[in-house]
Amino acid sequence: MKTSGTAKWQRSLFIASFTIPTLAFFCVFTIYPVIKALYYSLFDWSGMSDHMDFIGLQNFKDMLRDPIVWQALGNDYFLVAGKIVGIMLLATFFAVALTRFGFRMSGFFRSIYFIPNVISVVVIGVLWNFIYNPQIGFLNAFLSLFTKEPVAITWLGFTSHTIWMLLPPSIWAGIGFYMILLIAAIQNVPDSLYEAAELEGANQWHQFCHITLPLVWEQMKVSIINIMMTTLNGSFVIVWIMTEGGPDNTTQVMGSYLYQMAFRQYHFGFGAAIGVLILVTSLITTVALQRLLHRETIEMS
Amino acid sequence: MKLGLRNPAAKTIFYAILLVWSLAVLYPLAWTLLDALKNNAQFLANAPWALPKLPLLWSNFSYVWDKYNFDSYFVNSLVITAGSTALGLLLSASTAYVLARYSFKGSGILYLFYIASMMVPFVLALIPLFFLLNSLHLINTWFGLILVYASSVLAFGVFVLVGFFKSLPKELEESAVIDGASYYGTFFRIMLPLSQPGLVTVAIINVLNIWNEYVVGTVLINDPKQYTLPVEIGVLQAEMQYRTEWGPLFAALLITIIPVLVVYILFQRKIASGITAGAVK
Repeated sequence: MKTSGTAKWQRSLFIASFTIPTLAFFCVFTIYPVIKALYYSLFDWSGMSDHMDFIGLQNFKDMLRDPIVWQALGNDYFLVAGKIVGIMLLATFFAVALTRFGFRMSGFFRSIYFIPNVISVVVIGVLWNFIYNPQIGFLNAFLSLFTKEPVAITWLGFTSHTIWMLLPPSIWAGIGFYMILLIAAIQNVPDSLYEAAELEGANQWHQFCHITLPLVWEQMKVSIINIMMTTLNGSFVIVWIMTEGGPDNTTQVMGSYLYQMAFRQYHFGFGAAIGVLILVTSLITTVALQRLLHRETIEMS
Repeated sequence: MKLGLRNPAAKTIFYAILLVWSLAVLYPLAWTLLDALKNNAQFLANAPWALPKLPLLWSNFSYVWDKYNFDSYFVNSLVITAGSTALGLLLSASTAYVLARYSFKGSGILYLFYIASMMVPFVLALIPLFFLLNSLHLINTWFGLILVYASSVLAFGVFVLVGFFKSLPKELEESAVIDGASYYGTFFRIMLPLSQPGLVTVAIINVLNIWNEYVVGTVLINDPKQYTLPVEIGVLQAEMQYRTEWGPLFAALLITIIPVLVVYILFQRKIASGITAGAVK
């Protein structure tokens, strides 16, 4: 076909009209704010007035000297590690059990297990607050069945280690998503591999170690990195709803501290600097995990 | 050949684990419903797993609906979710189609740009977004939240839909062009109807995420009349620490989750395929 000048022009116009509005929109409401955050992090700014003091890297220097930032960083990585172990163990077990074990009602279990993932984290936080509630909570009432005196533990009020209490709701809420991913990966493994292994008398455990694990490793890697990123980016919500970072800042994570510093204490520059810290830590951790989890990929023929 | 677990003891134990986890997922939901039908006396006197006393207090639902303005929060959530899903889909589908079907200067970079942006934590943008919307006078408006949510789901939509458009056969488009259809005609009359399954998948995942969103809503909305459901739940739970209306609080939780449960039941398969498509980064 001969492309005349007008045809070419029409094509370009079409491409431009389908890409530029989206790009412009995306730049205004996502890219510009991200860049602006990097800029704000160099200022001392209350947000109330137009007055902004350029202070260079002072916010970052202050951050290094702020014990709560270190506490928050530790808590974030505690949640990352706990969620990776808890979610991956259970999600992998469920994915294998629902695909390879020949159980009846596998589809039913799969549907049920995903339910927590469609529920708002706010609702999950409120629900678990009632599980932990010292007076009318489920956990204390349950433990009281086995003791003479009624149990009255304030589960979210320990002076240390309260962050542990945030792990069960986070794991509970996260499993279904990664289970679905792993189920899809396992279903892509050709049946003939399992049939051959079966003929050679390999049991389920061997089949898991020698067929399933190597062939779904890429998906597991993606899952682990995704858990890390969503935790550093979003553990804020469950913390804010369940403890507001307390008691005494011991359950603060970077996201909740950012929110508190910016929107409660009006240190917007410092808050933006915490945002930059979240970006940097999640990029560094992604690279580190990529390295750590790297294995020779096995191509399925 | 029948594959599966042969050891009967292992089979029983594993099956028991599956049942226990089903209970761990379903019980808190059942518990929410039971507690939504109780009054405070029942909360204090009976075990948390006790059934609600008759008559069941269905009035807790109408109480939060009327007294706590859940009618307007519900409408806010509905409008904002629908608006931002539609806008996000329109913007991502158009770009995704061009990226999937036309090669032009910068097309590769544009695609990578959207993919790479998914690595940036959205919390980073929170503070500047507040001031941006403030200067545009869009704080506390449906429209402001719609713009921000649409932008936040854009990259995911581009990513999934590029893959989807690439999987569609080219023949139909080619014959449409030969028949003299314009670029726009081809897209709107041929490609959009064909890509309906992909669009629906992306839309549903976005609906769930936007309906449930809390952080951005909390920052960009501070007028109680404009709250979305999750924002109100966060506020309500803090208030209830001294106001102790537990039954109504549980009713409020149910009002928030029932719509997403319905969407989930109707579109389970779509959701699963959307997750799988979105994770192959």
